[in-house]
Amino acid sequence: MKLRPTLLFSVVAALVLPLAAQKPAFTVGWSVYVGWNPYYYMAKSGIMKKWADKYGITVKVQRFDYAPSLEAFVAKNIEACAMTNMEALDMPAAAGIDTTAIIVGDYSNGNDAVLTRNGVTFKNLPGKKLLLVEKTVSQYLFERGMAMNGMESQIKRVHLVNTSDSDIAAAFIADTSHEAVVTWKPLVSQILKTPGVTNIFNSSQIPGEILDLTVVRTDVLNRTDGSGQKFAKALTGAWYETMGLMSANGADKVLAAIAEGSQDSLQSYKEQLSTTHMLFTPQAALQLATSPEMKQKMTLVKTFCFNHGLLGESTKSMDEVAIRYPDGTVEGKADRIRLRFEKAYMQAVSEGKL
Amino acid sequence: MSLLSISVKPNRFTAWLLSWFLFAAGISLYFYTAQKRHQENPDDRVVPTLAQLGAGLYQAAMNPDADEEPASDAAGQSALERFRSGMLWKDTVASARRFFYGLALLFPAVLLGLHMGLFPYFGTFFLRFILFFDKIIALSVLPILFIAFGIDELSKVMLIVIGVTPTIILDTFNLTKSVPPEQIVKGFTLGARDFDVAYRVVLKQIWPRVLNSIRLNLKPLMLFLFAGEMIASTDGLAYRIALLRRHMGMNIIIPYVLWVALLLFLVDLTMRLLNKRLHPWFREA
Repeated sequence: MKLRPTLLFSVVAALVLPLAAQKPAFTVGWSVYVGWNPYYYMAKSGIMKKWADKYGITVKVQRFDYAPSLEAFVAKNIEACAMTNMEALDMPAAAGIDTTAIIVGDYSNGNDAVLTRNGVTFKNLPGKKLLLVEKTVSQYLFERGMAMNGMESQIKRVHLVNTSDSDIAAAFIADTSHEAVVTWKPLVSQILKTPGVTNIFNSSQIPGEILDLTVVRTDVLNRTDGSGQKFAKALTGAWYETMGLMSANGADKVLAAIAEGSQDSLQSYKEQLSTTHMLFTPQAALQLATSPEMKQKMTLVKTFCFNHGLLGESTKSMDEVAIRYPDGTVEGKADRIRLRFEKAYMQAVSEGKL
Repeated sequence: MSLLSISVKPNRFTAWLLSWFLFAAGISLYFYTAQKRHQENPDDRVVPTLAQLGAGLYQAAMNPDADEEPASDAAGQSALERFRSGMLWKDTVASARRFFYGLALLFPAVLLGLHMGLFPYFGTFFLRFILFFDKIIALSVLPILFIAFGIDELSKVMLIVIGVTPTIILDTFNLTKSVPPEQIVKGFTLGARDFDVAYRVVLKQIWPRVLNSIRLNLKPLMLFLFAGEMIASTDGLAYRIALLRRHMGMNIIIPYVLWVALLLFLVDLTMRLLNKRLHPWFREA
């Protein structure tokens, strides 16, 4: 409903201000997560502005809660967004929005974990209640854990309690009648401080399956005036400059500034970084994005999404939401590519061409 | 210009037309947007078309939750059986149970308010504390609620109780106070005892107003119920909506929201009719 007046306004503006050459403006959305907090620093330190100016565009870096950031991206209110590979599949891609991942930023290497009290293991989870945010990487991690412990057939016997991530730590810590929870850092670190709670499975046991990406709408990249390309270049350039600062020796000052983005302390942020496999250099990201394992892992994630109806109830086959990999191969129907992994921008950075 | 006149009386047809106009406008705007968005992107999930809404509603009403263990005799059930094992019905039953527990617990609150208004010892004991308690935003002290009530059914009902009962108690208290003291004195002079005055003189005449106050509080009640179900639950209408938001299942969310609106309207209507029936002498609402 808001659309109409905006459209009318822009038509009027286009008629009235033909000469006031406006710089193309773009917005990138991010939410609090160890691997995305660098966006806060990127905007605050002026690195983003420097790169945007270089390409003659304006880039706004906007912080969201995670779910609203996805909704804004799907509703086409923002051009780029930080999200996991799983949400890239089940939110924009499944909603028919052709999406391109231009940066593979990191993968969870212990950030997500299955925690239990009273020595509960996968073997005796069936019949018990498990707190988690359903239909997210938490559930994926839990099901992978069950599968890897030979309990795949028992998955449906665990009673999932959908718990909001804003209350899950308090709920698990306060209500000791619940024995298992799946969540992510920093909540994991908080919960582990409770006596008797152990970490029985975490994402370091499935490395490279939970990827954190920066995605752009493909139609933005394909804009005929080339401004979308400039946006992607500026964003990638700024990102890897920030990554360089983060991974340099004596980067504590930078890291502290990044931690500020989520009102976190340097110590806590470093602790989260230790369980995040950051891909600091474009070379490392390229290597992961072009590896053959990447395809297998994406297939696992896509199968999970499909089995849980996350690709849409009307999607009858996994092939209807196709993925295009950097080497040009397509998983699924070639005319229904919805998620693309694009290496051009990371490659350009690695070759110093931006 | 009669548009701005207080004393005009629009004819039947105009009145009918005017009262439905905003509905028609809203619905048209919705379907126009839906059609437009589907032209641009046939897989759009944000604004589903009528066919998609219908399919979503059918799926929600007739099929069980896909993540549940399938029932052994899924095939060969009648439509009614399928509806009763469908996710819409199960969610409705789960939420309705919590709703009516919450509603039932408002009646002790009414009695407490009445006693506080009439019996000075009750009043001095409770009033100050409840005035304070009424101002506590229950949702901001959730961890304390979790410790006290766990995170299962009890905590959801208690969230409703903590959120809504103080208002009802204080409102009943005020209504009790507004009964003219002459009536109470008269009751005593006619030989009534304390409880006769409390229940047969005061409660009897404030009861329709109390019912109206409960009606006005149905929506806060529902809000607290939804908040509770969104915090942690395994079933319920708000649980489903929270889950479907994870993958933009607007084709089911919209029918759910309309269904909740319908149910709430029906509860309100029932209470209004009941009030009219029980208290034909009451003319205020």
